[in-house]
Amino acid sequence: MTIRQNGGGAQTLDRAPLLYMYEQMVTIRQFEERAGSEFAAGKVPGFVHLYAGEEAVAVGVCANLTDDDFITSHHRGHGHCIAKGVDVRAMVAELLGREAGACRGKGGSMHIADVHKGMLGANGIVGGGFPLATGAGLTARYNKRGQVAVCFFGDGAANQGTFHESLNLASIWKLPVIYVAENNGYAESTPVTYHMSCRDISERAAGYGMPGVTVDGLDVFAVYEAAHEAVARARRGEGPSLIECKTYRYFGHFEGDTVTYRTKEELASYRDRDPIKAMRRTLEQRSIASSGELDAIDKDVAQRIDDAWTYAEAAPLPAPEDALTDVYVSYS
Amino acid sequence: MAQPLVGIIANPASGRDIRRLVAHGTVFDNNEKTAIVRRVLLGLQAVGVTRVAYMPEHDFGILPRALDGLSGIIAEPLAMPALGTSIDSTRAAQLLAAADAGCIITLGGDGTNRAVAKGCRTVPLLPISTGTNNVFPSFLEGTIVGMAAGLVARGCIDTDAIRRFPWLEVLVDAKTREHALVDVVISSHPFVGARAIWDLSAVREVMLSRVAPATIGLSALGGALLDHTSEADNLPGMHISLGQGGKQVLAALAPGLVSWVAITAYRRLAIDDGAQFQPGIGTIALDGEREIELTTTSVVEVRLRSDGPFVVDVNAALIAAARAGYLHRT
Amino acid sequence: MAVAIRQLTYAQAINEALKLEMRRDPRVILMGEDVAGGAGITNFEQDDAWGGVLGVTKGLVQEFGRERVLDTPITEAGFVGAAVGAAATGLRPVVELMFVDFFGVCWDMIFDQGAKLRYMFGGKASCPLVIRTMIGAGMGAAGQHSGCHYSVFTHMPGIKTVVPSTPADAKGLLTAAIRDDDLVVVFENKMLYNVSGAVPEGEYIIPLGKADIKREGSDVTIVAISRMVHQALEAAEALAADGISAEIIDPRTLSPLDEQTILQSVAKTHRLVIVDEDNPRCSAATDIAALVADKGFTDLDAPIKLVTAPHTPVPFSPPLEQFYIPSPERIIATIQEIMG
Repeated sequence: MTIRQNGGGAQTLDRAPLLYMYEQMVTIRQFEERAGSEFAAGKVPGFVHLYAGEEAVAVGVCANLTDDDFITSHHRGHGHCIAKGVDVRAMVAELLGREAGACRGKGGSMHIADVHKGMLGANGIVGGGFPLATGAGLTARYNKRGQVAVCFFGDGAANQGTFHESLNLASIWKLPVIYVAENNGYAESTPVTYHMSCRDISERAAGYGMPGVTVDGLDVFAVYEAAHEAVARARRGEGPSLIECKTYRYFGHFEGDTVTYRTKEELASYRDRDPIKAMRRTLEQRSIASSGELDAIDKDVAQRIDDAWTYAEAAPLPAPEDALTDVYVSYS
Repeated sequence: MAQPLVGIIANPASGRDIRRLVAHGTVFDNNEKTAIVRRVLLGLQAVGVTRVAYMPEHDFGILPRALDGLSGIIAEPLAMPALGTSIDSTRAAQLLAAADAGCIITLGGDGTNRAVAKGCRTVPLLPISTGTNNVFPSFLEGTIVGMAAGLVARGCIDTDAIRRFPWLEVLVDAKTREHALVDVVISSHPFVGARAIWDLSAVREVMLSRVAPATIGLSALGGALLDHTSEADNLPGMHISLGQGGKQVLAALAPGLVSWVAITAYRRLAIDDGAQFQPGIGTIALDGEREIELTTTSVVEVRLRSDGPFVVDVNAALIAAARAGYLHRT
Repeated sequence: MAVAIRQLTYAQAINEALKLEMRRDPRVILMGEDVAGGAGITNFEQDDAWGGVLGVTKGLVQEFGRERVLDTPITEAGFVGAAVGAAATGLRPVVELMFVDFFGVCWDMIFDQGAKLRYMFGGKASCPLVIRTMIGAGMGAAGQHSGCHYSVFTHMPGIKTVVPSTPADAKGLLTAAIRDDDLVVVFENKMLYNVSGAVPEGEYIIPLGKADIKREGSDVTIVAISRMVHQALEAAEALAADGISAEIIDPRTLSPLDEQTILQSVAKTHRLVIVDEDNPRCSAATDIAALVADKGFTDLDAPIKLVTAPHTPVPFSPPLEQFYIPSPERIIATIQEIMG
């Protein structure tokens, strides 16, 4: 579903798009929790990096996009995939390396993509997405039909050379790219207070001639509003911008991370500010939805996640020789 | 007698909200705020004030960075947890008032100063603008602020240079919820969201503690409505209702954003005057930021009160200090 | 192939290929440092624009404008990566990496993003990107502007590598590269830019993965890469005077490699010498040698010999640089070693 708004931002959101956003956030949370537990049970090869806690960012931003817009993501990409409309069953199948996976089992968690939905891939290289999103912005400018590209990145990536190169390039070429920083306070085990020379990533935007904004990434309405303005600006041909969302990941950098670098108290304080619970409270208090309705959505999502795992576990693995295909379009 | 104490509350989070995107809000990066504070400290030291207490932060640390390499200043963080929210600014102001600070220097916008004003009691403020709209604080040079604040803390300044401003009390369902320094806005925006207000189409009622056309924000709306009646000019506040059908006024609502705004009614407010509303679903914005979400039955009352914060007029303060001989020696 | 009447330089042939492809397909755009030149300067006489640091892309901005010929800042990871992103989303960019030696600055975007995205996305995406880059020593440009390094690119699955040695090959191969839906890197030897040759008019392609026999012979197969074809031709002339008949194979593409043409030649001549300007360890030369040692073992009457640059960076001083580049003399000496 795409949400189209004619100006006015979050205050003109009707019930249907709000419930859709709620459902998206719940889908991401449940997907990640299930992926984490299946990973712990040894069912998922490789690595997984869970997005739980950050849902408001992916959903708040992607609610402003259509299938014709592009996003790039990073290693913690499941949330962006779901928010951009990638099929959940195909995602689970990809985690399990099945032929029915979104990437036919060739990519795994860190490389899930659906280029036809404008999802240009999760990415295993920190900072890898900046130039790709900038290039998608170049295509968008060339196509002249108002498309935009969004680059999701973490606080760690904000120090990579590609961040600086890409913001500069998007600025001088006035490309329709929105750079969305998911500042969760840690680059792996290293806190932002150590690794960044500025306090807020948004401060760097001025150096690249574009507006930079910091919002509360735990509030889906705040994210939606800021993204709405940034996307509208880009569609109008006014160029790139940077939105920093302060957020928090509930789990470690990767599953298996003992997370000794954060305190239990800190985690508990963020659990108290859970973005999904906050949205639920707002929807109920403003009589937009009843708790019964929202419970029904939660249950529905749980069933769909369950079905996706059942489907994926039953799906066949690719034949070993399939390792040799899809390197090139053609290779004489 | 204890050495005069000056407090510094520098908000690292000011000046990066959505008005950088929807208007042309200035960016004050934290490295520049650090430079401003350093100038303040050097100004304080120059007039003989070396005791400083400051609001701690949990991440960046503007004050520790500004102090790095400076000798001769005794600066301590206030004994409070740093939560990284506006509560920190209020708590810091409370602690500074309890410690008999002679002056509190703030770095921030209207929002920061609102938080400080809720805690500072009668300690005079010297606000340096590093936020967006800046009706309350001004763009002031840090060195001069340091000198003026130091002289205030030492008791060298004539109280004519320190003025008390009225402010607005907000009650929801008969209980005092909040105060605002400059404006209270009731709109039908249902969510707090990104907080700032830049689109007035959903705004219904505006309550102002001052009317001033030469400012940015909703107080500019009030300023544009000034008329020739001398009696009305003595009343500090204003209540404006927005909507089509009446006159339109031109006001600078945000940096670079000047609009014609349609209003249906307005009147000046005396101290303790105000109004009551039952607006239904919507939000109350304080000093340009949505803060309180309302339900269908919420009853909102806004009153202009006289017990707002004391603010130092830097120009008047330094002129007074010069005349009193504090800037000479033989 | 049409009868070629006119002569073009290697640089002009490349320019013509770009021009014809840009006319044919509006999605083809050029990107790179100074590929037009003078970007953003007002009152700038467009004809004064550089058209590339050695003028190879001169004249293109005049015809196609700055929307399709984009000068970039010096920001290789940024603009090569943007070219990957644009290719993955529907454009067909030709991006210039000015000197191959700069690939370190943007290697992630080439090998880990562009080369792999089709595979990692299960064949559901592609990256129809051409990277043009200058290789080769001989200009005194020293250690960071003179390498070849196509071996590193050839090594990577997902990349195709093209090494034209003549103007006609350069035009046809570049055209094929632009029409190819995969990531192709075209290595242009800077010492060949002013070499003239017969070049057919109009559009034509030389298929990737097809070698060319530049000289027929019977006594020894020389596989020579890029400019080394010309070194080999010179050596072959001298050897002919000694009664040694050398067959010269120009692979033209290194990935995919035309194994069959090489093996057929070795089956005929029974001796193989590979001439490669790149450094010797893990090179195209060792790659081809291993291939023939495996699949052509019984055809060989002598060990396979490699005439390559030494295991050093490219030196500056002219006698040192000349020592570095495989010379006709070294080729002749090597062949004489394995004859008889």
